[in-house]
Amino acid sequence: MTPTEPASDSALTIRHLVKEYRRGAPVLKDVSLTFASSGVTAIIGPSGTGKSTLIRCINRLVEPTAGEIWFEGENLAALPPARLRRVRRRIGMVFQEYNLVERLSVIENILTGRLGYVAFWRVWLRRFPAEDIARAFALLDAVGLGSDFATRRADQLSGGQRQRVGIARALMQQPRLLLADEPTSSLDPRTSVEIMDLLRALAERERIPIVINIHNVELARRCASRIIGMAQGSIVFDGAPEALDDDRLATIYGGEGWLQ
Amino acid sequence: MGEVSRLLVDYGPAFGQALFLTWKLTVMSFVAGVLLGMAVTVLRLLPVPPLRFVLTGYVEIFRNIPGVVLLIFIVFALPDLDVVIDYEPSVILTLSLVCSAFTADYLRTGINTIPGGQIEAALSLGMRPMRIISAVVLPQAWRAVVQPMTSLLIALMLSTSLASQVPFPGRELTALVSKVATDSAAGMPAFAVAAALYVATGLLIAWAGATLERKVRILR
Repeated sequence: MTPTEPASDSALTIRHLVKEYRRGAPVLKDVSLTFASSGVTAIIGPSGTGKSTLIRCINRLVEPTAGEIWFEGENLAALPPARLRRVRRRIGMVFQEYNLVERLSVIENILTGRLGYVAFWRVWLRRFPAEDIARAFALLDAVGLGSDFATRRADQLSGGQRQRVGIARALMQQPRLLLADEPTSSLDPRTSVEIMDLLRALAERERIPIVINIHNVELARRCASRIIGMAQGSIVFDGAPEALDDDRLATIYGGEGWLQ
Repeated sequence: MGEVSRLLVDYGPAFGQALFLTWKLTVMSFVAGVLLGMAVTVLRLLPVPPLRFVLTGYVEIFRNIPGVVLLIFIVFALPDLDVVIDYEPSVILTLSLVCSAFTADYLRTGINTIPGGQIEAALSLGMRPMRIISAVVLPQAWRAVVQPMTSLLIALMLSTSLASQVPFPGRELTALVSKVATDSAAGMPAFAVAAALYVATGLLIAWAGATLERKVRILR
């Protein structure tokens, strides 16, 4: 059967995705999902259940064992390296540990979002195109840091500030999809809420869908328009935050004692 | 003290030339060795198991053979295989091979200090593997290895003394000490002067390395 492109109103379609790190021990068991072209989707589930693997299969930081991943008319799972790199530029990613270049300034870190686009000599000489620099400063404002932060070194920032830079860098790619892997797990409760609200606001502004792995169920309820619950490599819940009751949570995380 | 000053009157310019030759051998071997070591390191990152095996063998061999033995092999054994290399290039080749093996080893340690997330971040920006290596991995790896590379440079500088084991046309410090000892029986002061010059050079390298380290280090 030749893979066929899904209907065009979905931004991302995953079909029968399987990932095995060891043969016969699948971490993802036949996952199929469709994401609309806007909105925040939170993926919740216990540790080790395949959330990070799922999100990394989408841009193939992790190589899927089987299945299809359709994004903007292309099956990413079957793309050769050069075309995969072109698609990756359009998928922004935000990480738990921020993954900034510590010794570079904030503005340079944001500009690294253009590394997939600009010529090597420009990067080497730190000569980014003027419109990129203007956009970087605009994003610095948009993530709530302001131009005072532009020349600060990344290693002088707090966790919340670093994550804001990480988000600005991802948006610098002008992505059509944003992936976030536990973006708030290293942050305090208040900063976590601020970061999640920021992600949601920016996704609305840029009109792009966001897929977020998250441990904090309350935060997921607050910020997402759709919640996907995973357990042992399969999807056990998929619906609106309101539908996520204690029974469903028990299905996702197992047991009930922790809910009391 | 009188002996040293008499020695410097007789051999002052010779010591100057010997010191210069020691420096020249050091710099040439270091540059060649570092470039070679970096090439080995990058090639070892490629997902080609046979290549990795061969290069690991390369590193282990040249890291574990005494420089003198390697030099004697190149100068006296290779001609049997119809490979004749002049004395000076032989010394530089020997030191470069040893230096490249240590460089490859240190640099790999430097690469291991880079969090895997950075590679993921670079990949998700759509960067090419070679560009990730040259723009993300190597610049940070080099910064992490300034200190061991400084020690390697000092060790390499001291190892230039193995040039005294072959009939080298010019004389570096150790060869000059041997000659002075034979010619004028002024072995002890000659040795003292040479030792002082080695130590001074070593201190200079250590100071330069520490300065560089302060400038480029990444605080984690």
